[in-house]
Amino acid sequence: MIDPITIIDPITIILITLGGVLIGLGVHFIPVGGAPAAMAQATGVGTGTVQLAAGAGLTGLISAGFMYNNLAIDGIFTSVDYITVVASGAIGSMIMISVTMFVGQLIYVYGVGVPPVSAKVKKDPITGDVQDLYVSRGTEGHGVPTVSFVSGTIGGLLGGLGGSMIYVQLMEIVGDPSNMAVVALAGIFATGVFYVNAVLASYNIGGTIEGFHDPKFKRVPKAIISCLIASLICAIIAVPIMGGVV
Amino acid sequence: MVDPIVMDLGIVALTGALATIAGAAEDLESDVGSQSNPNSQVQLAAQMNFPHRIFNKAISGEPPAYGLWCASGATVASVLMAKEMSIFFAIAIGSFVAAIILGLFSVTAHMGRTASQKRFKQPVYMDMVLGHVPSIMAHGYIAIFCIVAFSYIMNHFMGHPFPLPLLAFLWGIAAGAIGSSTGDVHYGAEREFQNQPFGCGLNAAFSGNIVRKGEAGLRNGIDNVWACAKFGGPLTGLALGMTVFLDNWRTTVFEGMNTIIAGLIIVLILILANRMVEVKARKAYGPYKDEDGVEIA
Amino acid sequence: MSTAAGGPAGGGLNPNQVIILGAVGGLAGIYLTMLNQAMDTTIFSFLGGIGAIFAAVWGADAVRRVCSYGLGTGVPSIGMVALGMGVVATMFGLTLPKVIGIPIIAGPIISFIVAAIIGLLIGLMSNKILMMNIPIMEKSMVEIAGAGALVMIGLSTAIAGSFDIVAIMPAVVETGFIALVFIGGAMTILHPFNACLGPDEKQDRTLGVAVSKGALIMALVGFASLAVESMDAMSGALTTIVGLVIWVVYFKKFMKNTHRDSYLVTGTGLLPSEEELE
Repeated sequence: MIDPITIIDPITIILITLGGVLIGLGVHFIPVGGAPAAMAQATGVGTGTVQLAAGAGLTGLISAGFMYNNLAIDGIFTSVDYITVVASGAIGSMIMISVTMFVGQLIYVYGVGVPPVSAKVKKDPITGDVQDLYVSRGTEGHGVPTVSFVSGTIGGLLGGLGGSMIYVQLMEIVGDPSNMAVVALAGIFATGVFYVNAVLASYNIGGTIEGFHDPKFKRVPKAIISCLIASLICAIIAVPIMGGVV
Repeated sequence: MVDPIVMDLGIVALTGALATIAGAAEDLESDVGSQSNPNSQVQLAAQMNFPHRIFNKAISGEPPAYGLWCASGATVASVLMAKEMSIFFAIAIGSFVAAIILGLFSVTAHMGRTASQKRFKQPVYMDMVLGHVPSIMAHGYIAIFCIVAFSYIMNHFMGHPFPLPLLAFLWGIAAGAIGSSTGDVHYGAEREFQNQPFGCGLNAAFSGNIVRKGEAGLRNGIDNVWACAKFGGPLTGLALGMTVFLDNWRTTVFEGMNTIIAGLIIVLILILANRMVEVKARKAYGPYKDEDGVEIA
Repeated sequence: MSTAAGGPAGGGLNPNQVIILGAVGGLAGIYLTMLNQAMDTTIFSFLGGIGAIFAAVWGADAVRRVCSYGLGTGVPSIGMVALGMGVVATMFGLTLPKVIGIPIIAGPIISFIVAAIIGLLIGLMSNKILMMNIPIMEKSMVEIAGAGALVMIGLSTAIAGSFDIVAIMPAVVETGFIALVFIGGAMTILHPFNACLGPDEKQDRTLGVAVSKGALIMALVGFASLAVESMDAMSGALTTIVGLVIWVVYFKKFMKNTHRDSYLVTGTGLLPSEEELE
């Protein structure tokens, strides 16, 4: 029997909660047009919010898991190592989302024959290109214009960072990277927390968002509060689990 | 003696190649059955009085679906490996079991959705079920086999700590996310609506009016995959292949903080490449309206 | 076997009946696996899988009720959140007895209650903070999370032969089979309604899909348990066989219901003519 008080560490809980909030925030940056975008009817990637965010975030988790294993297996895990691991998760996620948006863009441009354009702003805030004249009739924009692309990479960064932070914190509670059961538990646990936050954020968005320039982005504080509460509960629950299993 | 880095890079290249095949097969599988977002139009068509012979398979979003197929395949494979079967056959049998599960989910998804459209008089054609499901399973098998295989390589040769079923599950989700974000657009925005002019998004007024007739007879999912295999499928393969390859490449060639810098440079290059494509498209296609908002195209 | 999907055509079971069926059936299946420890065998592990099927039927019915309101995003997301909450609550509930030294038998109940609390919280936040204004959101989230946790415990127990965390960790988590339990559980909850969505959806057909898909996943976890050393091969094979038998029965039932519900089931043919569509 282990005393539950000794294994509840406030810093770990705060960092896991922060990870969850970052995931919820990241989802808002990812430009998704849902089903309409798959018909080039709306700006953004043609898939659902949760799906793309999860795909990117979990790719980041794979990278972070790999990097953590490389750096922590010798038993020493410094704060530089910590930054390397979470940054590696963030980069893995960014690479996945950038590649996806870029290839999606190729299909919009060469397969469907539409220029990338946003219907929510008159001018692209980054490049200054005129937008509204390029929107084809009966649609709400199509493709991934530069501002959405940049927004998407930020979303990938935050999502990957959040997921990896949760994973690393869970691993650090036990501090035994060679224990396969702990690795798998931390991995599936991070996946679960990721889904809870990503779905809450996507309920806040309600289907489609173009990126940080979209008026819907103003709803972000509500998602942050929700994700904060949900992640806090998950964190309070997670800490005794990880401390208790071994 | 081969330099170890060459060996490592060979392994990375192999994972990239497997991922490329997996991505292409994944997208084509979803085009045969019309899964994921373009499915909304197939679903809508019957409601708008356009009954059709296109396979309507809404198992779930592609990421959870591929998560399940890959986790099942990897589970069966790892049980067989624990029983000391050869790795190749273990993965092959695992993928086969997963493909059967995919087939069974496809049957309930297609027949369930079609039966729920009774009031729109959309019939259930049994020959479609018998004709499409093997094709779905075949494409799915290739995708699952490749994903489980490169997960195994990452797990076994590259030393990834996650157990095989978990790793395959995560890669399955990533593969599904990429497939539904890239290749499906070619199917949804172009192949489903070849009756609309090329070079514009689908006007919301034409929603549901999908192409229902083929070169000869009525169009079906197998006609659709024939078209999408020329562009959407290969590009999806490129996307998954690039994701797996670039992510593994940077961690193999570089160490520590340099992996982060290399990754950032890759992302930066992609942002610039995207900008180039955007400028090119805007120049090539031009605006749809002139500056007073009058339609010119 | 379960009568979950056998409700009268058209009428069907009301929500409370399904809740009782799912919660009681699910917990009963899980707790009956304790016969394993009582009789020093592993042959009763398949009961965990049967419990999971009951819980999956419940979860699928809850998804069905809540998704008739527009969520603004696809049906799958709600199934994924169910198992997201489920995995957190399950592992907590099953580990807690070991951490604070209470009997193991409390584990599944703690998981179930914790899942319900997380679900209530997420439902409340969806309505009060995110302003989704879906009247049954809180209730449905409690149900979906509870069902998700029960499906996970049921399937894990079927693999490990016991819901003791000491058995679950090496058998389910370390081997990575937890990934199959996670996504398989999610799909049994979210797939049935997604597969039967439409204006002429019928409860018994949808829930029948839940049973048949739960049985399929049960067959798979039975196979997975062959790799677990503490389980004898007979128990794993039994879980697989029972799963396959249930699957055959309910797949046939699904085919019959499809013939009953659809406009026309035909070998092949042309599209309905203009006159027919009038």
